[in-house]
Amino acid sequence: MSISVSEALRPARKPALIGVVAVVGIFVGVWINDTYFSDRTPVQPIEFSHRVHASDNEIPCQYCHIYASRSPSAGVPSVAKCMGCHTAVADARERPEVLKLAGYWDRQEPIPWVKVHDVPDFVHFTHKRHVLAGVQCQECHGPVQDMDRITRIAPMTMPWCVDCHTEREVENGRDCWTCHK
Amino acid sequence: MSKISRRDLLQYIGAGGVGTGAGYLFAEAIKRPVEFLIPPVVPPEDYSPGVATWYNTVCNQCSAGCGISVRTREGRAKKIEGNPAHPVNQGRLCARGQAGLNALYNPDRIRAPLKRVGERGDGAFETISWDEALTQVAGRLGRLKIEDRADRVQLLTGGIRGHLGELFEQFITLLGSDRYAQYDFTYPANLRLANRLSFGIEHLPYYDIANCDFLLSFGADYLGTWLSPVHFSLGYGQLRQGREQRGRCIQIEPRMSLSGANADEWIAAVPGSEGVLALGIARILVADGTYTGSDRDAWQRALEPYSGDRVAAATGVALERVQQLAAEFGSSKASLAIGGGAAAAGTNAVASLVAVNALNHLAGNLGQPGGIIFNSAPVFGSATRHAGLTQMTELAASMQDGAIEVLLLHDTNPIYAMPDAAGFADAMAAVPTIVAMSSFMDETTAMADLILPTDTYLEAWGDDAPEPGVGLPVASISQPVVARVYDTRSVGDIVLSLARRIGFELPVALPWANTKEFIKDAWKKLYTELDPQADAADFEEFWLAALQAGVWGRVEATGGPGDAPAPSTIPDIDAAAATFAGDTAEFPFILHPYLSATLFDGRGANLPWLQELPDQMTSVVYGSWIELNPATAGELGIRDGDLIEVESPAGSIRAPAYLFPAIEPGVVAMPFGQGHTAYGRYAQNRGVNPVQLVALQSDQQSGELAWAGTRVKLRNTGERARVVRNDGISRTLGRQILHPEENHA
Repeated sequence: MSISVSEALRPARKPALIGVVAVVGIFVGVWINDTYFSDRTPVQPIEFSHRVHASDNEIPCQYCHIYASRSPSAGVPSVAKCMGCHTAVADARERPEVLKLAGYWDRQEPIPWVKVHDVPDFVHFTHKRHVLAGVQCQECHGPVQDMDRITRIAPMTMPWCVDCHTEREVENGRDCWTCHK
Repeated sequence: MSKISRRDLLQYIGAGGVGTGAGYLFAEAIKRPVEFLIPPVVPPEDYSPGVATWYNTVCNQCSAGCGISVRTREGRAKKIEGNPAHPVNQGRLCARGQAGLNALYNPDRIRAPLKRVGERGDGAFETISWDEALTQVAGRLGRLKIEDRADRVQLLTGGIRGHLGELFEQFITLLGSDRYAQYDFTYPANLRLANRLSFGIEHLPYYDIANCDFLLSFGADYLGTWLSPVHFSLGYGQLRQGREQRGRCIQIEPRMSLSGANADEWIAAVPGSEGVLALGIARILVADGTYTGSDRDAWQRALEPYSGDRVAAATGVALERVQQLAAEFGSSKASLAIGGGAAAAGTNAVASLVAVNALNHLAGNLGQPGGIIFNSAPVFGSATRHAGLTQMTELAASMQDGAIEVLLLHDTNPIYAMPDAAGFADAMAAVPTIVAMSSFMDETTAMADLILPTDTYLEAWGDDAPEPGVGLPVASISQPVVARVYDTRSVGDIVLSLARRIGFELPVALPWANTKEFIKDAWKKLYTELDPQADAADFEEFWLAALQAGVWGRVEATGGPGDAPAPSTIPDIDAAAATFAGDTAEFPFILHPYLSATLFDGRGANLPWLQELPDQMTSVVYGSWIELNPATAGELGIRDGDLIEVESPAGSIRAPAYLFPAIEPGVVAMPFGQGHTAYGRYAQNRGVNPVQLVALQSDQQSGELAWAGTRVKLRNTGERARVVRNDGISRTLGRQILHPEENHA
């Protein structure tokens, strides 16, 4: 009498195969979500293009993000700041997205931009330190000047931060208290 | 390879589909919630987002007048710290000061002007506009003025100091009334009267705890609630550790307070006998030749009755102990006696405090470092309209008689902080119009017909000269640290706009557009009269410098009028025995209420941080409790946590028992502060109010409510009540840590 393991397992084969298919399905599901429904590139209330502003018109980053070198947060420009130029830039005035902006201004409403880059609340990240240390905006934010809709390039996770701190030999760069306090 | 049947294929597709769906949902679930970056429409001028801005202003949680620095971010107050430049608190701050943020952002603040719609006290109000509210009030006041009946307007506020008090004063005078009273439960009226009787100076002197070698405190909880606790805590630290010779502290009180716990020795004298003890010590100082003044014989005669035996019998302190205290008090290089707390709130309070003053005089402590140093009068705006029980009872009678047509209230809560028997609530019912200028719906505000919501102190302009002063002229400007949170106005603005609307000579005499202009104008006077040699180039620079620093002071001008005024009290020196309301046989226990270091006289009860802060001595949070000695409890068969009915001749309340070894048997203690029937979600219906046990008795000389002069009886209801506390149990479980025989159950 021969004993065959595969024979013994035969009844379990089909459920196992179904399980494998389901697990593969889970990965496929996660991939689909990550690729086509990712929150890295959210739809913004106004289809604002960094490419048009930073690349085509060569506006420096800190012209709009004015607090980057003196505050933990870089700052999103106020509606007044946007209007400051857009009242003057005549040929752009009738574009639908600019009209949206004008609408916010007329209603004196802030624009609810969706946050793309974020770190958890227990991380004390500050733009000021990084900008003053000469880190270029693009090193963390990617080639923003080429993006029409802003997208997150870097994972913004702790290993990613620490890698850079290690590579640049940042003073106390690996100390817990540098970021978590 | 076997063929896959159609049925199997469908199963695989199903499994794959379910898996994919699950994977998709999983990925969706672990995404961070969407956050928004909402920029301002117009960029802020006075801050950068993310960068903290600190504003210096004045704390208003008690009357010490500490300077505070408030950290703000994006126009929101985040944290309050002490202002390091302010001489009162020197960068430190107490819990009450820290909790000021809870007042600013309190969810139960009154957010818009309210008009009563239901019966008075029902709590039914409708929101009205500021314009309507001010027009109504101004119309009512203006009509009374036209009819020449403006003396029927009564203004009742809390203990307001600074120029704001003067504004109120001017307003009510211009209106044609002299009815302005300040009811502040914690105002040291007895101490001020005693100082006037002893020294001829009513404003509070500087008690130099920092430099004293021997501090004898008669009931004054100087680390918790007495006059200026943060400053005295600093002084205590200096006394203990800040110098080569460590000073000694003795605390005389029937129930151990925070200061008692930090003293070298705690002496539980019979309640109300503090003055006798002081004079007993004084007699020894005169008899043994420590006092060498020319009027020594007169003192000797005056103190004759306070012989050792009599003092020992009256105070319950052993004769040798009194002699030791006298020897130490007399021989210390710098000794200091202070009186406060329950010792300054009996029927003999002023006499007791005069006795303490006499003790200081005889030991040569007046005008000496480490003793009592006389301040010059506060730079401006001392609270002078204080109303004690006598005046408040008179006011209640006037209201009952219909002599008051309009009652204007601000920042005072007599319905809570006065015994019901005083009849203030009933008398308010007889007043046709009650207008409350208030930030919170407290018991008194709830009775108003019209409520004008006021800014908290963190949103308003004002100023303050601290009292007790610090030996040199000091004053601070109070400035808004954030924009108003709700549709409120500062009380100064309300008074000024009322003046404009009433007309007559009021807008001419009170021409300022707002409180800021008024305060600035007042400081212009201070600049030209008091500090013409200031470093500033002009007033604007002076003003900005004072605002920025949070304090103005003149260092060179120390000392006060006459360094050691001669006490003129020898003929009348007499520590009358305290009388207690209630028959000794029927009410065997003396009630010892005390100011809570957190909720104070109850004004802090609506601040959640203070509610959840454990009491320093008992570790209890949130509720009320009644402290009694384990020996007393044993006799009555009361266990820890039993619900006790406490009955006095004036009323009765129920609270759980807390067995507290550091209280004299025969005395039961309760903190003030809880037992609100209104005042927002954190205060309302929590604990009981011991003021309602206090019998209507006043000090014989000052007419102040003698809140420590009531007897009570206890009855165990047989019910159990939960006392929320952090200390676990007070027993050492046979480990004999405290003393060998300690094993009480």
